[in-house]
Amino acid sequence: MTPAQALLIALVLCLAGAAVTAVVAANRRLAGWLTFLVTTIASMFALFAAARSLIDGGTAPETFLRLPALGFALTLHVDGLTAVFIGLIASIALPATLFSIRYMDLYPDYGVRRYYSWLLVFIAAMYGLVSTTDMMWFFFIFWQLMTLPGFVMIRFEHRNAANRRAALKFLVMMQIACAVTMLGAGLLAAGTPTVGAGLRFDFETVSANLPALLEGHPGRVALAFALFLVGFGIKLGMWPFGQVWLPDAHPAAPSPMSALLSGVMLKTGVYGIMRYFLWLVPAEATGAYPMTTWGALLAGLGTVTLLTGTLQALRQEQTKRLLAFHSIGQVGYILLGIGACLAVLGLNDAALAPVATVAFMGALLHTVHHGTFKSLLFLNSGSMLLAAGTQDLNRLGGLLKWMPVTGITVLVASFSISGVPGFNGFLSKWTIYTGAIQGVPAGWWLPVCGVLAILTSAVTLASFIKFFGAGFLGRASETVTQAAAGRKRLEKDWTLLAPQLLLAATCVVFGLAPAVAFGLATRALNASREGLGETLAAAVRTAEGLPGMQAVLGGGAHLVPLAVLALLALLGLGGAMLARAGGSSRRTDSPWLTGYAQAGEANRFTAHGYYAEFKRWFRWIGGAPRSGGAGSPNLKEPDHP
Amino acid sequence: MEVLILILRSFANVVVVLALAPLFEGLLRKVTARIQSRQGPPLLQPYYDLLKLLGKEDIESGESPWMQRFAVHLALATVLTVACLIPLGAPVPLAGAGDIILLVYLLTLAGICTLLAGLAAGSTFSLIGISREMITMIALEPLFAITLIIGAVNTGTFRLETVLDGSVYAGGGVPWSGLLMLAVMLLSFQAFVQRVPFDIAEAETEIMEGPLIEYSGPKLAVFKYAQMVRLVIYSSLFVALFIPWGSHLVFPIGWLLFWAKVLVLVLLVTLVAATHARYRIDQALRYYGGLVGVSFVALVLAGFGY
Repeated sequence: MTPAQALLIALVLCLAGAAVTAVVAANRRLAGWLTFLVTTIASMFALFAAARSLIDGGTAPETFLRLPALGFALTLHVDGLTAVFIGLIASIALPATLFSIRYMDLYPDYGVRRYYSWLLVFIAAMYGLVSTTDMMWFFFIFWQLMTLPGFVMIRFEHRNAANRRAALKFLVMMQIACAVTMLGAGLLAAGTPTVGAGLRFDFETVSANLPALLEGHPGRVALAFALFLVGFGIKLGMWPFGQVWLPDAHPAAPSPMSALLSGVMLKTGVYGIMRYFLWLVPAEATGAYPMTTWGALLAGLGTVTLLTGTLQALRQEQTKRLLAFHSIGQVGYILLGIGACLAVLGLNDAALAPVATVAFMGALLHTVHHGTFKSLLFLNSGSMLLAAGTQDLNRLGGLLKWMPVTGITVLVASFSISGVPGFNGFLSKWTIYTGAIQGVPAGWWLPVCGVLAILTSAVTLASFIKFFGAGFLGRASETVTQAAAGRKRLEKDWTLLAPQLLLAATCVVFGLAPAVAFGLATRALNASREGLGETLAAAVRTAEGLPGMQAVLGGGAHLVPLAVLALLALLGLGGAMLARAGGSSRRTDSPWLTGYAQAGEANRFTAHGYYAEFKRWFRWIGGAPRSGGAGSPNLKEPDHP
Repeated sequence: MEVLILILRSFANVVVVLALAPLFEGLLRKVTARIQSRQGPPLLQPYYDLLKLLGKEDIESGESPWMQRFAVHLALATVLTVACLIPLGAPVPLAGAGDIILLVYLLTLAGICTLLAGLAAGSTFSLIGISREMITMIALEPLFAITLIIGAVNTGTFRLETVLDGSVYAGGGVPWSGLLMLAVMLLSFQAFVQRVPFDIAEAETEIMEGPLIEYSGPKLAVFKYAQMVRLVIYSSLFVALFIPWGSHLVFPIGWLLFWAKVLVLVLLVTLVAATHARYRIDQALRYYGGLVGVSFVALVLAGFGY
């Protein structure tokens, strides 16, 4: 079985499963388990396709369905780049569907037919979108198959007007993105001869015609690429488009769907940018392709995206809305990585090509890593919602006592997203910074972008200290104590915990063993050698031979997380032994509030109070918290005795 | 064999830092007292304090005590790990384990421990403290990161032993970016070591040690120890980055010279701390904001090769 066949099977399985699920959806649990079963089998096929392609070093495109009259053919191509995205989709879909089974109990008044069936269609469409080589017709079909389920599931709680509005906004933005991207493809394909299989909108044809087009009509190509940037930019949440739809859409959808929206669906936009800006352009066209300009634009937009997204996230007080703004922020890092890669490639300097490869790997790895930790965070917030019944961080607090497992996975995900050494987010951010800072020959602005990204990472940390602190630490809020009344645990059953544990384990493993992540990225590059991918892949080989790419750029930058972590653990143990040495006794007491105040809801430190001075500085950045601010019902005026 | 030497040299760094940190603290207290016309405690008082605290009762007030324990021990472990990644009058022991970006993030991790500790304690005072601490971290991290990155841009490498060796001056001609960063770091150093006028997160007289308010006994001892080590670590980093001259002399001379420079820096910190009053967080934030702006100018200068 070739990878393309396996992927097609996965795709068809998901679609068939959707039909069957629609029939049995009256039984909520059965529909849930069936969806999980179908997703599991489909994921196995998809993962097989991805692994096979990475091991074999890439495959040829395969055509399954032809309509030559329209220039229409279903051609699937599982090369290295596609394999990474397929792997991501398959491995996030699995925990998300398992999590759904119990989670959907949260909506007893809403039928689950609209949820499970559309979820499977959604997954199938994403498989198709990242593997089709058709820039027009099948792109359109898969894009729509992805957008419509998204729309349906964002308005899942359709009795709430805000959700309907969010869904409509999503639908409109995605249709604009679709039209714009297809217009770009049309511009590139118009009036050019066809090659190979004779398909006008196939990657192969467009790529072959691009050098001539770049010579003859550079303006038209520039316009087409600008349209691609806008189209995929809307999808992946780039500033200023992301702020329009993303923060409303993510919190509205059920949590497992939010996990898929943020962890996976945004990544199809990343895929588009990578595929069109790097793989579509043949290596011989580099002279006429203004790569440094595009790189500067992408890096600049990326930096603006990560700054605005993260600073706006810092102001949020609703769990899922906060995470949604962070999705914008994290996607900014990915864009910065791609931009740095293009800018350095534009120098056409063989000695600097490894820097471009490093920047690209950073972007690719951050795509994968963001997929894992962000979907984990959305599942976490789903668990919190299920346990305490609210998304409002102001009304949460002290959950760790009742939800230790969820709490630890939230901590892992928070550390990952804010780039604490030893977690996967640090690895990919480290790679992006390395690429941006070492890319200084491309321009002084590249290290400045890199430093802004490092600074933003501290803001991310602040935001997640608030997320974790306000949710799980501090003192238990009234809402939480009421929810927990008389119970020892608020965590429900294993179908909710297992997905979170699995994703948390992934974050740690990828963080501790850079060889795994870099090995994957290297294989991916080696298995997709069209266009500029060839240049990037060639540069990997010069950096190879160093153990697991731990030392990239000839040893100029390096990292051995395992050694650092072992040292940390050892010294921590030493400290613990020191603390025991005095033989002091230990007892528990309540916090000291200067002796005359009682701990209560009125003087509890809530999410709203965090970083007030800093938030005041950045009020102009927008993204005011939707609700739960100073006027939220739980923050009553303190009554003095 | 090589590995064994590495381990021994790391161990030496840890031991030296642990042994000297309370001494510097004692010196700081003594000199502060003298400046303020007091007699001051004995020079060895911090050692006695630590020993006494180890035997005192440990009262846990948070709702998640294991998080309190975790945060405290991670705090000390992190600063000691950093001690293995920087030159302390001798070459960097663990230069092969990471680079400057790791260093920046490990120093952030040291701050995170304070935050987690304060959060886990659950007192309103500690939460006010951690909110301030985090704001300070956001403002200060770029200053330090930019210093290191200017060094990286000048030398073209991220390696610790190269960057932590006066690399900020390694640009061509007059090292404007390095000099600018020297000024910025001198103006912000008090904040890095959490001393007056920038001890806003602890503010004993206002929020009663903020994140540490609920800590007692051995946990407080470990935390205090970590803070003492932090003073030594940052002073050493400052010396390594900005006053590198003479550190490469033969063993006892170079080593002694290094620690003499650290001592001078600590005395400078003491002098400033003893003669200033604490800023409010909003005043401090404006001040940091200006410094961050200047350091970005320095970074751009470095990008152009100055």
